[in-house]
Amino acid sequence: MRRGSLVTASALALGLCMAACSQPGAPQAQPSAAQQTDTDTAAPLPDISKLVPSVQHQITEAHDWLVKTAAKPDATAIDRANAHGELGKLLMAAQLPDAATTEMNAAQALNPSDYRWPYYLAHLARSGGDLPKAADAFQRVLQLKPDDMDSLVWLGDVSLASGKVDVAEDAFAHALRLDPNSVSAKYGAGRTALAKGEHAKAVEYLEEVLRLNPKATAAHYPLSQAYGALGDTTKSAEHLRLRRDARIAPRDTLMVELDSLLQSPQTYESLGIRRLDEEDWEGAAEQFRKGLALAPDSPALHHRLATALSMMQDEKGAVAEFETAVRLSPEYFPSQFSLGVLAQSKGQHAEAIQRFQAALKARPTYTEARLRLASSLRRAGKLEAALAEYDTALASAPDNTEARMGKVMVLSKAHRDREARRVLDEALQSSPGDLVTMHALARLLATSPDGTVRDGAKAMDLVQQMLKRGRTLELGETYAMTLAELGQYREAQALQRDLTAAAERAGQAAMKARLIARQKLYDRADPCRTPWTDEEMP
Amino acid sequence: MEWFTDRAQESGIDFTHVNGATGKFYYPEILPPGVALFDFDNDGDLDVYLVQGHPLEPGTRPDPSLRGRLYRNDLEVRADGTRTLHFTDVTAQSGIEATAFGFGVATGDVDNDGFVDLYLTSFGGSQLYRNSGNGTFTDITKQSGTANEPGFGVSAAFLDYDRDGALDLYVGNNVRYRGLDKETVCPNPAGARDYCPPQIYGGFPDRLYHNDGKGHFTDVTAKALPGLRPRPALGVATADFDGDGWIDIYVADDGEDNMLWMNQRNGTFKESALAGGAAVTAEGKAEASMGVDAGDFDNDGDEDLIMTELTSQGFNLYVNDGGGRFRDQGAVSGLGPASTPFTGWGTAWFDYDNDGWLDTFSANGTIIMLEGHQNVPFPYDQHRLLFRNLGNGRFEDVTAKAGSLFAMSESGRGAAFGDIDNDGDIDVLVGNDAGRTRLLINNVGNRQHWVGLRVVGGAGGRDMLGARVGVTGADGKTRWRRARADGSYASANDPRVLVGLGASSGPVTVDVKWPDGTAERWNGVTADRWTTLRQGEGK
Repeated sequence: MRRGSLVTASALALGLCMAACSQPGAPQAQPSAAQQTDTDTAAPLPDISKLVPSVQHQITEAHDWLVKTAAKPDATAIDRANAHGELGKLLMAAQLPDAATTEMNAAQALNPSDYRWPYYLAHLARSGGDLPKAADAFQRVLQLKPDDMDSLVWLGDVSLASGKVDVAEDAFAHALRLDPNSVSAKYGAGRTALAKGEHAKAVEYLEEVLRLNPKATAAHYPLSQAYGALGDTTKSAEHLRLRRDARIAPRDTLMVELDSLLQSPQTYESLGIRRLDEEDWEGAAEQFRKGLALAPDSPALHHRLATALSMMQDEKGAVAEFETAVRLSPEYFPSQFSLGVLAQSKGQHAEAIQRFQAALKARPTYTEARLRLASSLRRAGKLEAALAEYDTALASAPDNTEARMGKVMVLSKAHRDREARRVLDEALQSSPGDLVTMHALARLLATSPDGTVRDGAKAMDLVQQMLKRGRTLELGETYAMTLAELGQYREAQALQRDLTAAAERAGQAAMKARLIARQKLYDRADPCRTPWTDEEMP
Repeated sequence: MEWFTDRAQESGIDFTHVNGATGKFYYPEILPPGVALFDFDNDGDLDVYLVQGHPLEPGTRPDPSLRGRLYRNDLEVRADGTRTLHFTDVTAQSGIEATAFGFGVATGDVDNDGFVDLYLTSFGGSQLYRNSGNGTFTDITKQSGTANEPGFGVSAAFLDYDRDGALDLYVGNNVRYRGLDKETVCPNPAGARDYCPPQIYGGFPDRLYHNDGKGHFTDVTAKALPGLRPRPALGVATADFDGDGWIDIYVADDGEDNMLWMNQRNGTFKESALAGGAAVTAEGKAEASMGVDAGDFDNDGDEDLIMTELTSQGFNLYVNDGGGRFRDQGAVSGLGPASTPFTGWGTAWFDYDNDGWLDTFSANGTIIMLEGHQNVPFPYDQHRLLFRNLGNGRFEDVTAKAGSLFAMSESGRGAAFGDIDNDGDIDVLVGNDAGRTRLLINNVGNRQHWVGLRVVGGAGGRDMLGARVGVTGADGKTRWRRARADGSYASANDPRVLVGLGASSGPVTVDVKWPDGTAERWNGVTADRWTTLRQGEGK
């Protein structure tokens, strides 16, 4: 299904991780000392009383199966290994690493030729921070399955983290021989080269990562470091700016399987989120409904389901679920926010204001809610209140461009262009060359109704500087405004016609209408005196 | 003989921290306690302040005995050099009423009267206690303007960032946690609840207070820290990272980019961590930094950084190039891989064996409940770590050699470092969350030679926090250290400087770069004893 027209999934889901996600990279419990492997009997289960009943049931069933298998005289070693391993997988997914390790060790002892057991043992050791043990186990996998890409990349990764760059280099090189386009292997090879001080090589690998997968944004940071070491400060700064934390990891089918093993509300929620990320709205809704069957009072699951329904165009269902979430927990700010977004999209600003305020009461740092609140306040004609919200947002994050631009536009709408110009001048002073600020200032200088603010020559200077760095329809529009301000109406008319044609070609109907309206001004030899229309404001 | 011996209880520190945990997983329970070593009575030995908590559950009747405690060190040193360590609980007569749920402690002489004052961070606000000089303290929080409200201060540091001779205050705030949050729960995939990570609540902006020198502080955060973002701060260390003679600030954040505030020498700072390579790991990942310390571990004259992290992340070692640009050498140094099974908190650069190279220690304890620790009241315990600096950029994990105290599993948090028995080596005071306080007395450091220096200045002769001290021994090599009380986690260290000299017993030359930018030299400073250097009395 195409991206929903109501509001985007990302807007609805914004802030959810602030409310209910588990911590990225959260540690596992420390593995205990090596435990004795007993392959003939089933080890007693650890304390599972704190787990949800459905998971307790799963684990107990798997344990019962293991007991029965162990007692069967005709059970083969492979049967018994599988019984230990299946229980181990459940325990691993339930974050009981010590008990899981015991079972995996038993499985490995019973069936040493099955690569899965050392693979799980490797991950158990890795997540518990025992890097040497993890490396040993990945090596065991590779003895059984020499071309296992996942193990090669993970071996490289843990070796790099252990400071064993030569082992890492070999592992990544082996992986790249098997799959020259492996993003995770190239990423590892790039980081290894960086650790070895081979900066040009690092650049080569890491640029390739981004070429193969532009979403692999974690590559930007090491790339920035490599360019910095090579003395290319421009590229270094650019990649530093683009740096994000998107994880780059192997495909890891065995570990992915673990993620869906437990029948718990939390697992269904995670699986549903994954479907949302894949824009599989129906699949997401199905997972959230499964979760709600186990935890009907979970505001988070109702909220998630609402998000999926919204993307499926089921607005009624979505609102009902958001409202259920809020009814269950009035402090549940993500649903308050989403209800606000829905109300805002329908122009119901009084309700939107109420919802955003409720979200902010529960979570005062929720900047997205504050910006949307400011927007609804502006649209409701409450300009001073909108300004106050932008100021609050800027107080906690002075470099928040969206808040600054919102403030400038509201000031302009309130006929306070001198203040708007001061805000932009100050922003440009602290971040010279910032395109958003330059553009807004040029627009204001070219079109302000306040003659003491207007400065066509300076606006033209800014426009010329920006045109050297790239061209957009919006910048063209500001260029035309500036030409008109300088009395060059013929040039403004011609440019505006070209822009209108381009907007039509791009299917930008709203922009085309706006350009046509302004064209009429230039046809009459009138300058534009509206820096931003309501539609252009956030 | 074991390298360290716990002498807390036998010397009179019979203290068990209470966090009141009842399985509701209130976030504040997971953070404390900090500890402090400071000489509040100016008798030449280090006294102790211990942060206390209490049950947070509403309706629980407060136990009046649960409060932060002050212990006076009554060290007795006999003519033959033997000594007896004894502490007396002087809380009752001290005037300190620390009954809030405490997190941390910072020390510094805010009014230049020569008596060190005390800043306590707690759930619900902070307190500044002025040391009256007669064994008592007065709560001056309100008149000083340092309540940090609203806020969630954990670690704090005193520093003179504008060189006006008065100690200013940086408070690292952790999360925006309003009231007692009963609603937010953080189950794992199997539905088992545990403590939530800070991102669930959102970070809270740190604060910088400027001291006018007359007992009043002004919140200068907005002007002095432009672009400050609310991040969950846990550790704070101050040092001159770019060698320009002005003190900078490093903040360890939990799960988000760390911050490095470079002093612009005009009352403002510029956040430079990411560009300077000190915000994230070599891989570019923001990790959960807890404790932090700055020190010249490679003896090249600049301040390097160590950070303790979550299990599976490994401790970070950011090596300074001298200009405030860093490179993460955690993996190759050996610190990273040896620490990955641990969640570290209090830490420091300290030369436990006086060989002239800064070693390091960490107090550890998880934030995720440990499987199979059902019999432990607060099942988040891990053992401590000790690393020896090999002098070649690498560290050896000597935990297993250090003795039974390092095999003991506890929920370590704050750690303060200093020569508690004045015998020429660094001891460690460790605060455990929901556990006993440990006083790790060093039994091996003074087998090698050392020089101990207290650097004081100003009218009252206060410890000049931030002063850099260069000690040049017979080998001609200069080792730079810093007078500091900050660093570690939520704790306050001995502000004195102890430099290991190895086998060299001869007198040393000492250069001091004072926080006001001036420098002085002392020749022929005797080894194996403590010496006080007063600003203005050197050459």
